[in-house]
Amino acid sequence: MTNELTALSDELAAAVERAGQAVAAVHARPRFSSSGVFWRPGVIVTAEHTIRHEEDIKVTLPDGSNAPATLAGSDAGTDIAVLRIEGSGAGAAPLARAAEPVPGNLALTIGRSEDSGVNATMGIVSAVSGPWRTWRGGRLDRYIRLDLTMYPGSSGGAAVNTAGEVIGIATSALSRIAGVAIPASTVDRVVEEILSRGRVARGYLGVGLQPVELPDHHKGLIVLSLAPEGPAAKAGVLIGDIFVSLGGQGVADTDDIQGVLEAHGVGQSVEAEVLRGGQARKLAIAVGERPRRD
Amino acid sequence: MRGFGEIAERLRRSTAQVFQGDRRSGGSGVVWSADGVILTNAHVARGPAAQVELWDGRRFEARVESRDPRRDLAALRIGAKGLEAATPGDSSALRPGELVIAIGNPLGFAGALSTGVVHSIGALPGMGRQPWIRADVRLAPGNSGGPLANAQGQVVGINTAIVNGLGVAAPAGRAVEFLARGARPSLGVTLRPLPIGLLILDIEPDGAAAAASLRAGDILLGSFDDLGDTLDSGRDVAPLRFLRGGERPVREAYVRLRARAEVA
Repeated sequence: MTNELTALSDELAAAVERAGQAVAAVHARPRFSSSGVFWRPGVIVTAEHTIRHEEDIKVTLPDGSNAPATLAGSDAGTDIAVLRIEGSGAGAAPLARAAEPVPGNLALTIGRSEDSGVNATMGIVSAVSGPWRTWRGGRLDRYIRLDLTMYPGSSGGAAVNTAGEVIGIATSALSRIAGVAIPASTVDRVVEEILSRGRVARGYLGVGLQPVELPDHHKGLIVLSLAPEGPAAKAGVLIGDIFVSLGGQGVADTDDIQGVLEAHGVGQSVEAEVLRGGQARKLAIAVGERPRRD
Repeated sequence: MRGFGEIAERLRRSTAQVFQGDRRSGGSGVVWSADGVILTNAHVARGPAAQVELWDGRRFEARVESRDPRRDLAALRIGAKGLEAATPGDSSALRPGELVIAIGNPLGFAGALSTGVVHSIGALPGMGRQPWIRADVRLAPGNSGGPLANAQGQVVGINTAIVNGLGVAAPAGRAVEFLARGARPSLGVTLRPLPIGLLILDIEPDGAAAAASLRAGDILLGSFDDLGDTLDSGRDVAPLRFLRGGERPVREAYVRLRARAEVA
């Protein structure tokens, strides 16, 4: 008996098979392996939160064989880690890109485990919105929320449409309530940065800020702490100064500061307008690089 | 979605509730033949008899004809004719991503439907070397023994367990083999894995282990998989190495592995 349901079922299974050719299992934590996606030949992208040991990482390739992998770099903010592998299994072709998903589209996450090969879960894309800052501090080009069940091992796998085209990398670590697909364009940007520089540099001023209301009902951010020898301290910022704008944009919240820093590369100069004793001053701060957490 | 409704309705008629004494702790079963064979999990039908309620509300006393605890399958028989039997599918052709639907009596709610896709197919730690179907469908206690069907409504698995949130089903091919050839040898013991082997917690008085003079508290050396290999070796008699009182020397018992006497 053939019906619409059978046709859809066959389509889904074909998508899993196709996408599974570019999905590996990643063994870098105790108990549960995670998944990773061939993003370029020899380059596998996985979820940073699933990397618990940086040495002795092993991957299970689509052909079932195991290969050693090295960590090229990772970015906790976007939950992306980049692995390199060498040898015969390194040539898996990257997946075709999906068109922009819209809420309601069917979506699958494709993972792999060493014991039972490729695996799949299905649901829908439940929300898509513009640029989104994760609670870990990274910026995704879009927020793509997945209404599907993420199992141990799903993270780092491919989020795909019913044609097996990649929407992004699936992760359970960026939202408490749902799986999230890290958009393919964000993955591209982070992979490029990690492969060329070994890390993702984040802008840094070296100030601790608290939002305050100003007498004219405007808002600002008062400097409560200052990293000694930090970029702001070097530019002459003092504790008690109130930031009212940065890079020409009004700032009322620390998110505004982060947004400005994302638009300014490390080393660039950014103009800050601060209030000191009621007087406005302009200071040029050379954006520094946020110290790495370890 | 068009299609699920029709398939679910047909499958519901081939799904039974299975109870053992207490109505609250029931499971599910699949009507496997029109003349009264009901397939379920061994952990749902633990004793020699059970009660079966069909989709139309008719209730029957069922005899447990055969149990295979290692495959977690049991065959029951009820005195009824003209039942709407399920259609078995080819579980060996199942692929990850295929649509599946599960019907059962989760938490006592009769005939509940859940849908999803095949997650993966492979061995599971602690459940032998045999492959299991893992399905991205929401199951609950009470789904055990019920059908997992494909998009054509063919039964491809028997829902057996929930592991890390995934539904785990015995492939239909294994159920067909079980019905055709009967239970594989079993020791008649309840085991708990220890670092050095398998501790016998409980022993059935008429089982193969009891007949070989093994006792509760003995520790069988080796893993579940090793034991499974021994039991499936096809030999009539197999040696088992064990410790008594947790102390050396290693002792040996010879167990008779003919298919266990059917539960009368």
